[in-house]
Amino acid sequence: MTHIDDTAVVERPATVAEAAELLRDSDGPLLFRGAGTKQGWAGRPVDPAVVVDTSGLSRVLSHEPADMTVAVGAGMPLRDLQELLREQGQWLALDPASEGSGATVGGLLATGDSGPRRLRYGALRDLVIGITVVLPDGIVARGGGKVIKNVAGYDLPKLLYGSLGTLGLVAEVVLRLHPVPSASGTAIVAVPADRATELALRLRASALEPAAVDWTDADGGTLAVRFEGTPAGVEGRRATALELLGAGAGWSTGPDEDAVWSRLADAERQAGEGSTVAAAGTRPSVTADVAHELEQAGAAAGVRTMLTSRPALGLHTARFDGDPEAVGLAVAAWRERVLALGGSVLLRDRPAAVDAHVDPLGPSPSSVGLLRSLARRLDPQGRCAPGRLGSWLPTPAPGEDLPRS
Amino acid sequence: MTAYTEEYRGLVAWTGGGEVTTAFRREVAALVGEGGLISEPAQLRTYECDGLTGYRVVPALVVLPATTEEAAAVVRLCARDRIPFVARGAGTGLSGGALPVADGVVIGLARMRSVLSVDVADQRAVVQPGVTNAGISAAVAQHDLYFAPDPSSQVVCTIGGNVAENSGGAHCLKYGFTTNHVLALTFVTPDGDVVTLGGDAPDQVGPDLRAVVLGSEGTLGIVTEVTVRLLRRPEAVRTLVADFPDAEAAGNAVSDIVAAGIVPAAVEMLDELAIQACEKAVQAGYTLGCQAALVVELDGVAVEVDEEFAQVQAICRRNGTTNLRVADDAQERARIWKGRKAAFAAMGRISPDYFVQDGVIPRTKLGSTLTRIREMSDAAGLRVANVFHAGDGNLHPLVLYNGAVAGEAERAEHLATAIVELCVEQGGSITGEHGVGSDKACSMTAMFGPDDLTVMARVRAAFDPQGICNPGKVLPTPRLCGERPGPYRPHPLEAAGLIERM
Repeated sequence: MTHIDDTAVVERPATVAEAAELLRDSDGPLLFRGAGTKQGWAGRPVDPAVVVDTSGLSRVLSHEPADMTVAVGAGMPLRDLQELLREQGQWLALDPASEGSGATVGGLLATGDSGPRRLRYGALRDLVIGITVVLPDGIVARGGGKVIKNVAGYDLPKLLYGSLGTLGLVAEVVLRLHPVPSASGTAIVAVPADRATELALRLRASALEPAAVDWTDADGGTLAVRFEGTPAGVEGRRATALELLGAGAGWSTGPDEDAVWSRLADAERQAGEGSTVAAAGTRPSVTADVAHELEQAGAAAGVRTMLTSRPALGLHTARFDGDPEAVGLAVAAWRERVLALGGSVLLRDRPAAVDAHVDPLGPSPSSVGLLRSLARRLDPQGRCAPGRLGSWLPTPAPGEDLPRS
Repeated sequence: MTAYTEEYRGLVAWTGGGEVTTAFRREVAALVGEGGLISEPAQLRTYECDGLTGYRVVPALVVLPATTEEAAAVVRLCARDRIPFVARGAGTGLSGGALPVADGVVIGLARMRSVLSVDVADQRAVVQPGVTNAGISAAVAQHDLYFAPDPSSQVVCTIGGNVAENSGGAHCLKYGFTTNHVLALTFVTPDGDVVTLGGDAPDQVGPDLRAVVLGSEGTLGIVTEVTVRLLRRPEAVRTLVADFPDAEAAGNAVSDIVAAGIVPAAVEMLDELAIQACEKAVQAGYTLGCQAALVVELDGVAVEVDEEFAQVQAICRRNGTTNLRVADDAQERARIWKGRKAAFAAMGRISPDYFVQDGVIPRTKLGSTLTRIREMSDAAGLRVANVFHAGDGNLHPLVLYNGAVAGEAERAEHLATAIVELCVEQGGSITGEHGVGSDKACSMTAMFGPDDLTVMARVRAAFDPQGICNPGKVLPTPRLCGERPGPYRPHPLEAAGLIERM
């Protein structure tokens, strides 16, 4: 299926073979798109000649409930997959906020997006066991396999994790599944960042095994801690958890609990028109510093900020609202401080005008030579989302291959 | 259909060929000091093989750097002279991943064995590659923390080797593999550059280079520092051994446990021969004559573990267990695990020689695969002991033979290879945790097609364009694999006189 969208041709291959043919027989920049929920992350790619829409690759290829594995086309929306798995009492243990916007499994892998329960189950990086990838020359490669335990060959599934549409098209994904826990309960307490960080570290150091610990700076700060397991197991931890969290802590289950987590997901998703979103990763223990630095960077630039954090993981999503130049300066200032704390900051969605004032990726890592070398081998003409990794992966001039090292 | 593309052949073509000269040796000695250099023939023989003792190659030189800078400097010299090098930890690998290259250099990381820092609040530690797996857990035990991957060789194997092999262990069913527990690596590229992969944050921006190095079996570079994730010790651990009249009943019990939504920390199975060997070796209290014993361990929050442990016992009874042994304390639990972890070494008690395989099958194919292995074993007239990770379908069939009997080693090797290929036919893998190494490189074509291998060769070439970093491992060398797709052949290096079978 083909249609013209602005200047790009949008193609919707229905099979991996079609996708391979499409890539092999086309020229110019490529853009891979699932539900399109994260096309605004990182650098802005140059205008593509071809947009490859994965929605035609959305079938369940195999589901082995007793082996707790499933193979799906990359264009399968996560929420559809979860609905299907739930019939068997299983789920893909991944709960990103973008699930509600239709995010696809392939897109989630390529962007490395995750949700609160990453604390217990890991990220998609930890749940992917096999992949089919199509490189721009049309070669189709499978990596990993269909079994959970497998160390044969290089880990291509994880190599594509976080690749942001560079290197190649994620076409099929094989995943490890988990049983849906039979019970869940969430403790909530109103605390500022310092206290939230301290509590998150105490929770991690305790034997309570929380499934998720999220904090938002809204209304002076709220910490939510989720416990999962058997009904007795969840109920058994309630008193200890509430005591650990201190005075004022509450407990919710059922629809009330769902509402708590939806609010947190909305706070993270915050697709407000004109807002700028940036994500940081750090050691868990510096969460409070990350929050304070954000406040200061925002105040200094005259920009409103909001933060949601996973203080037990060290993942933070910040939102900036204000004049684009001021926002750019605030993000840059925040990044500088987060870098000093040992972390990193990636720019996500933002108005185009912000780009002039802040680099989307920040300074390149020491391994950037290896990244370029890898891109040169897998995508020698630099066709896959050129510009998405900014200066880390320079866009080659037309007809020119990527530089040699 | 051929097993290799022309591009693949070009990418893996031998490109080393440099020689260790007296001048080279002098330069290396200047870098690491005489204490860091081994070149006496008798001492070099210590490094001629790893845990896969069938393949032996004496290296030209062994270098033992004491720091990242020294390791990088040695690699730079190798790169300059195109001399192949092989990194080595404790040498416990079972796939010949640390098998030296003739006329090449072995870079041993044994002198780099410090725990550099422990960050209790963030539950992580920075360690050098020569620290043992168990050594990490010991260093942080006072904080109620531990390092989750637990290969059976954990007392001696090193974290550097664990990273190279992406080691698992009995508890990876619940906790995952080394790749799930490493946050950052200090990495020496095959050019001798020192870079950091991963970092403080759970993810870095861009493709996950740390993940592709994990499990790359030393073919992409040398890891000289590892930041590991530590876990809080679970509140409760419960372990039992359940005897079953046959493997099928035991397999059904495992299926029922999984179907009940329980994720055990570990589920192991030992068959009669394996039990016999273990009991002779360590007297761990397994029932002699039992056809299939399941070791099931649950851990986590006490209330939940107790509840699910009762469920597991009921499931075992429902599936006809003939004896349930519940470990009442930590000592009894340790005894059960001692028996299980001694299994490979114990085979010496019941057979002069054995080959161990590491194939994986979808867990639901357990019963039919074991039956098929039994038939193949009968047809070959060789005994096969089975001890394996039943929870994740990772089989460790041990093909027993007597090397003194003419032709038996060859028959055993063929049987072992046929079992691995059976696993692939069932939708599984040629290796679950031992790695491909030298041993199974030729079997890669049973699992991966020409294009899959081509892309892997591109990845390798991106890291190591000169092909000097542990060459000949993981990816099959066409001319050494008989140029035939599919079935594995005995290693042609042997025929070429480059290695010998002991």
